[in-house]
Amino acid sequence: MAAPATQQIKIRCNDEKEFTVDRDVLERSVLIKNMLEDVTEQQDAPIPLPNVSGPVMAKVLEYCTHHRGEPLPSADTEQSQDETRKRTTDISEWDQKFITVDQEMLFEIILAANYLDIKSLLDVGCKTVANMIKGKTPEEIRKLFNIVNDFTPEEEAQIKKENEWAEDR
Amino acid sequence: MPPPNADLAVTWAFLEEGVDHIMTKLQTGVSYSKYMSLYTVAYNYCTLSKMHGTHIESLGMTNRTGASLMGADLYNNLIRYLVAHLKQLRQSTESREDENLLRYYAGEWDRYTTGANYINRLFTYLNRYWVQRERDEGRKGVYPVYTLALVQWRAHLFFPIQQKNTKLASAILRLIEMQRNGETIDQGLVKKVVESFVSLGLDDADINKACLDVYREHFETPFLAATEQYYKQESETFLANNTVSDYLKKAEERLKEEEDRVERYLNTQTRKPLINKCEDVLIRQHAELMWENFQTLLDYDRDEDLQRMYALLSRIPEGLEPLRKKFEEHVKNAGLASISKLVGEDAAGLDGLDPKAYVDALLDVHTKNSDIVTRSFRGEAGFVASLDKACREFINRNSATGTLTSKSPELLSKHADLLLRKNNKLAEEVDLEDALNRLMVLFKYLEDKDVFQTFYTTKLSKRLIHGVSASDESEASMISKLKEACGFEYTNKLQRMFTDMSLSKDLTDAFKDRMQQNHDDMDISFNVMVLGTNFWPLNPPTHDFVIPTEILPTYERFQKYYQTKHSGRKLTWLWNYSKNELRTNYLNQKYILMTSSYQMAILVQYNKNDTLSLDELIAATSVPKDHLIQVLALLVKAKVLVNEETDQYDLNPSFKSKKIRVNLNLPIKTETKAESTEVLKTVDEDRKYVIQATIVRVMKARKTMKNQALIQEVISQITQRFAPKIPDIKKAIDTLLEKEYIERVEGTRDTFAYVA
Repeated sequence: MAAPATQQIKIRCNDEKEFTVDRDVLERSVLIKNMLEDVTEQQDAPIPLPNVSGPVMAKVLEYCTHHRGEPLPSADTEQSQDETRKRTTDISEWDQKFITVDQEMLFEIILAANYLDIKSLLDVGCKTVANMIKGKTPEEIRKLFNIVNDFTPEEEAQIKKENEWAEDR
Repeated sequence: MPPPNADLAVTWAFLEEGVDHIMTKLQTGVSYSKYMSLYTVAYNYCTLSKMHGTHIESLGMTNRTGASLMGADLYNNLIRYLVAHLKQLRQSTESREDENLLRYYAGEWDRYTTGANYINRLFTYLNRYWVQRERDEGRKGVYPVYTLALVQWRAHLFFPIQQKNTKLASAILRLIEMQRNGETIDQGLVKKVVESFVSLGLDDADINKACLDVYREHFETPFLAATEQYYKQESETFLANNTVSDYLKKAEERLKEEEDRVERYLNTQTRKPLINKCEDVLIRQHAELMWENFQTLLDYDRDEDLQRMYALLSRIPEGLEPLRKKFEEHVKNAGLASISKLVGEDAAGLDGLDPKAYVDALLDVHTKNSDIVTRSFRGEAGFVASLDKACREFINRNSATGTLTSKSPELLSKHADLLLRKNNKLAEEVDLEDALNRLMVLFKYLEDKDVFQTFYTTKLSKRLIHGVSASDESEASMISKLKEACGFEYTNKLQRMFTDMSLSKDLTDAFKDRMQQNHDDMDISFNVMVLGTNFWPLNPPTHDFVIPTEILPTYERFQKYYQTKHSGRKLTWLWNYSKNELRTNYLNQKYILMTSSYQMAILVQYNKNDTLSLDELIAATSVPKDHLIQVLALLVKAKVLVNEETDQYDLNPSFKSKKIRVNLNLPIKTETKAESTEVLKTVDEDRKYVIQATIVRVMKARKTMKNQALIQEVISQITQRFAPKIPDIKKAIDTLLEKEYIERVEGTRDTFAYVA
């Protein structure tokens, strides 16, 4: 499996946009990493990524290039790392800057990270959303994400009562 | 590729085609786009929101709060596919038997597990979200896709095959039996099938944990049973037709083979039960027979067989104990026989027993058996203990010693003396140091080390006084060996003796210097040894002695010199150990006569007379008559004096000798004989004090003690010097009670207290 670091892999997004990327950058995606291990294509055909668009992929690759070479979470350590990872909403400076995008792009990145199985990027995205929500009232959150309130007043009262304990007082 | 929001039927139709391709003809390859589309379709289906799919209830889950995850449908369809796939495989196994079956099974296992690995990855999303969540919520029987595939294999292929007379396991066992019979089998095949048994074990609580339940139940248990049966039969048949020696070899080989078998194709966990089983059948079941044959192997020096027997029996608990006992008996008997042979029938050789021959005989037995322990019993502690016990027995009690445990220490110390003397012939053959080391080997076993010590001290004092020691280095080396073996106290006296010697040399020199300054009549050369009374086993003469006028001035000067140097010290002159050298002036040839003090005292009388009667000589010297006659006899024998008339001794004017230096100072017979008994008397006396001192020391530390415990403690403290007898200890206790060092505790019959 020890492929030379310089190996170039071509990918094609759902808008026909193609990228040629160093293998180790691409392997931040567990999906692609697994596939490259499993499948040996005869010609160097591009890897189709039917769920990702070119602009989003460009952002994802920017992230992967920055984080290339960092250890991937392995199955064993995942459990313990999960705990600390979940408890904190801290985001590193570079990641913070990277993720400062418009809301639509943010959700696209989260979807792509989920699809491509890039756990750390998924975390960054989700934490960013969490930070956006933090300290806001339901009204403000609805406004922020453009959500229509589909609860009846009775339902809403009931939910509020149930979650009273979590109110920030 | 179906659209992202395709329904289950469309989705599964697409996925099933791909899954089937991977499971059945992976070798034809998968393309990037195929792989990616399968992953994407599975992903899309799983990420469909609740509104699109309403199949969740079909798995029996209700009332779930929050967002539901899609996946149950895919999971169930996957199961359906695997069951159908495995059913086909099972049909193909039905007509197969033995190796043919194993080959098919192993081949399909390979293909199946490889495919399942692919599928597992394609369904990563299902694993990550749906399966993970189901398991987190405690649902049993939901597994990641790869594990699911194994579970299905076990249920729909493995168990059904095994149910038919354990077809798989039996096929493996038949192959193993063939190999045990010497045939060549495909070990890789066995290994693969056995490994599949291991993989099929599943710990429901933690799927990543290895679990051997399937392997144990379906393979290990029947395998162990078959092994037991096979070797039981083989070992019995073999022993019926072959010698025990041959069997040892066979058993050793078989054990090795089984170890290798585990290495080659079984799970390492099987090593212990398998080897235990083999050891039981191959060794424990036949241990009696091996024990019985042990003596024969010893008798014929069958080194390799002994080694083998040791190695085999050491593998079972208590296997060696009978050997150790027999070995001890064997060594003891060998030692006793060797000494009996040396002594000869009817104890003929007892009187003139040569210390060297005795020591050599003991050492030979020790060396030979010690070698056996090292070589055949790998120096195992139990056998070393047996050897030591046996040696202690025959070295202290044999036909040369009778019941006297003081005999061996005496002979050993005599041997040491012979070795350490100047011009000894023994050490020409072997290095002296080596000979001393060998002696120490025996010394270690002596019970009466104090007897050795006393004899050794006596012999050493003689060597030092007479200056016949081979070298200071060798003496020092021997003492340090003794010190190492018995501690500082044991050699304290010996070392003090050396100190005295060197102090005496300095003293002599200093005295000479002083005399040369003060006097000019120093025509007598004088050497003195001042020896501490407590350290030297020397006794002063028991009779008077008239100091000859010739040496009187020197005697007085030294006396005075010493008193000024060390006032308050008492000098006792040991005339009986002193010696002199006299120059003759009355003969044509000048001779130097080497004499004892008494001989000198007699001879100087002839400076003024040519003829003297016995009475005159007695008067002149004060030496008692009996002793004087013996001294004179030596001078007459040497023809210095002539004894022609009764009780009259004349100087022989025509004395002649081949040597210029004539040694007249020969030992008088009665002296040598008395020596041994003298030494033993000293030892007995010393022991009384040692026992008493030990009791006092123990009591002082413990304050009160019961009789029995006290005796035990005393024995344990003294044993390294000698073996104290219990009556002696009791006697010592009585003595100490009398002297009021200790007292009985009131109201008790057997408790003593220390009296401060």
